[in-house]
Amino acid sequence: MAVELTASPREQTRARYPDESGYVERQGVRSYYEVYGSGEPTLLLLPTWSLFHSRHWKMQIPYLARHHRVVTFDGRGNGRSDRPREAAAYGEREFAADALAVMDATETGRAVLIGFSAGGERGLLLAAEHPERVDGAVFVGPAFAGGGTPLPERTVYDFDTEYDTHEGWAKHNRSYWLRDYRDWVEFFVSTIFTEPHSTKPIEDGVGWALETDAETLLATMDAPALTPEESQALCRLVSCPVLVIYGEQDAITSVSRGRAFAEQLGGELVLLEGSGHAPHIRDPVKVNLLIREFLESLP
Amino acid sequence: MITAAPAREQTRARYPDEEGFVERNGVRVFWERYGEGERTILFLPPWSIIHSRCWKMQIPYLARHFRVIAFDPRGNGRSDRPEEPDAYAEAEFAADALHVLDATETERAVIVGFSMGAQRGLLLAANHPERVEAAVFIGPGLPLGKATPRARAVTSFDEEFETYGGWRKYNRRHWLEDYADFLEFFFSQVYTEPHSTKQIEDAVGWALESTPEMLIATQRAPGIKDEGQARELAARTRCPVLVIHGEDDAIRSHTTGAALAELTGGTLVTLEGSGHAPHGRDPVKVNLLIREFVESLP
Repeated sequence: MAVELTASPREQTRARYPDESGYVERQGVRSYYEVYGSGEPTLLLLPTWSLFHSRHWKMQIPYLARHHRVVTFDGRGNGRSDRPREAAAYGEREFAADALAVMDATETGRAVLIGFSAGGERGLLLAAEHPERVDGAVFVGPAFAGGGTPLPERTVYDFDTEYDTHEGWAKHNRSYWLRDYRDWVEFFVSTIFTEPHSTKPIEDGVGWALETDAETLLATMDAPALTPEESQALCRLVSCPVLVIYGEQDAITSVSRGRAFAEQLGGELVLLEGSGHAPHIRDPVKVNLLIREFLESLP
Repeated sequence: MITAAPAREQTRARYPDEEGFVERNGVRVFWERYGEGERTILFLPPWSIIHSRCWKMQIPYLARHFRVIAFDPRGNGRSDRPEEPDAYAEAEFAADALHVLDATETERAVIVGFSMGAQRGLLLAANHPERVEAAVFIGPGLPLGKATPRARAVTSFDEEFETYGGWRKYNRRHWLEDYADFLEFFFSQVYTEPHSTKQIEDAVGWALESTPEMLIATQRAPGIKDEGQARELAARTRCPVLVIHGEDDAIRSHTTGAALAELTGGTLVTLEGSGHAPHGRDPVKVNLLIREFVESLP
C-alpha cells in the first residue's frame, strides 16, 4: 500500500507540550526525554522498537498528564535521541539503563511503567531487576519470547536469507530493508493497524519510521535479545501489579504471546475485540481508561 | 474502496429519550428528541441522500446541554419515500419541521441546517420568525456565491454520455445504472479532508438505505429557485445567524456561506482545510461553535 504523507515534514502540533525536556547521556549516546504534568504515581512511558519514537504515545500523554506526572523518552535510534550504528548499543539492557537514567535525571524515585510492543521486554527487565523503582506495569501488545507461538505468516521467511519475492512478510528482510526501506515500512505499519479507517495512524507511523533508517533498525535486529528462558526467569522475579492489553487481531505478534506473558506475570489480561497491535493509538479512549482504572486500583 | 458497513444500525453514543412520527398528506416523518433544557436545537434534515444520523457527532454532545430534536428527511431514514417530485419541495421539508416542532411541543428552536438543509432553514427563518430563535447554517447550499462543478453537472443531469467520469456521475442515467459508484464519488467530494474513510463509509451506507429513484425525485423538486429569492429570504431573516463554511468545500462554494452571512447580518466562521461537512469531520470544533453561539443568544 502506498502511503502518501499528508502531514507536513515539520512536527505536528501537539494537544499538550512538555513542561520540561532534556537529555541523558550514557557512554556517548544521548537520549531525549520529556516530562508532563504532576500527580502520583509518575508514569514512565517506555520506548518501543526504534521504528517509532515517543510520539506514538501522543494519544495517551495529554489525557494521562491531567491526572499524573508523565515521563517519556525517545528510544535510542529514533526521534531526538542519538542513532548509534553498532548492534551492542541496542541491547534490551541498554534501553532499560536509559530508562533508569531518565528516572534519575527527572528525580523520579518510582514509577508505573507503560510499554508497547518491544517496550514489553525493556519493561520486563526493569520490573524484574529494579523492583524498588517500579510500582506497576502496563503492557500494550507486548513482545514476549517466553511463551505462546509466533504468527504462522511470520515463520515463512528468514530475516537474513535473500529471496526473489518481496511480497508480504518477505519484505521483513535484511537485504530488502536496504533496497526499499520505505516499502517495508509501509507494509509493516499497515500490518500494525489492521483496523478499518486507520489511514491517519498509518500515516503517522510511516512518518515516524522515516525519521530513522534501515541501517539503524538493522543494528537493533542484531542486538542481543532476551532468550525464552531469560524471559521466563524474569517473569518469575516480577512482583508488582501488571496489566496486559492485547488486540485479538494483532497481526504483528500473536495473542498467544500476550496470554502467556500475563499468565507468567500473574497479571490481568484484557483482550480487545477487533483491535490490532497498537490499540493505544487506534482506540486511545478505551486504552486510556483501562490504564487509568489500573492506576486507581494500585495500593 | 468502501468497507461494507454492518447491515444493522451502528450502536449509538446516545439513544433518543423520545421518538415518533408526524404525518402530512400521507407522508410519515420520523423524529427523535434527546435531552432536556431551556433551549431546543432542531437539526434540520439535509438532502435526502442521507438522513438524521449525519448529526451523530453533534447529538450526544449538545444533548448534554440542550434539548435536541432531529428528524429524517422524507425519502430516507425511517421516514416515508414518496414517489412524486413535488413531495420533496423545499416548502414540504419546512412544513415537516414545523409539524415536528408541534408534535414535540416546541414553541421555538435554534435551527441547524447543513447543505440543502439551509434552503428549508432559510424558509423557516424568514417565514416563521416566531418559531425560529436563531439559525446555524453549515456548508449552506443556496443559489448564492460562485458555482462549483456540482452546479455545472446538474445542468446535464438528464443527458446521456458514453462514460460517466468525475462530476458526470451526477446524472440520472448513471444513478440508475450504478448508484453506489455515484455515491462513492459524491461523498469523496463531500469529505475531501485526508483520513475521511469512516465518514465516507457512513454516508454511503446511509445513502444506500434509499434508492436512486427517490433521489431523482428530489432533483426535480422545487427549491429556492434563484439568487433573487435567496436574497429576498435572507433579507427577511431577522434572527441571529451563524454560518460555518469549510474553506475547501468542493460541493458548495465558500462564497455561498460568505454571501449568506453578509445578507443575513450573521457571523461567518471559515474553517481552514475543511470540506463540505465539517460537523462530521471536525465535530469538536463545530460542536463548540454551536454551543458558544446558542449560549450567546439573549
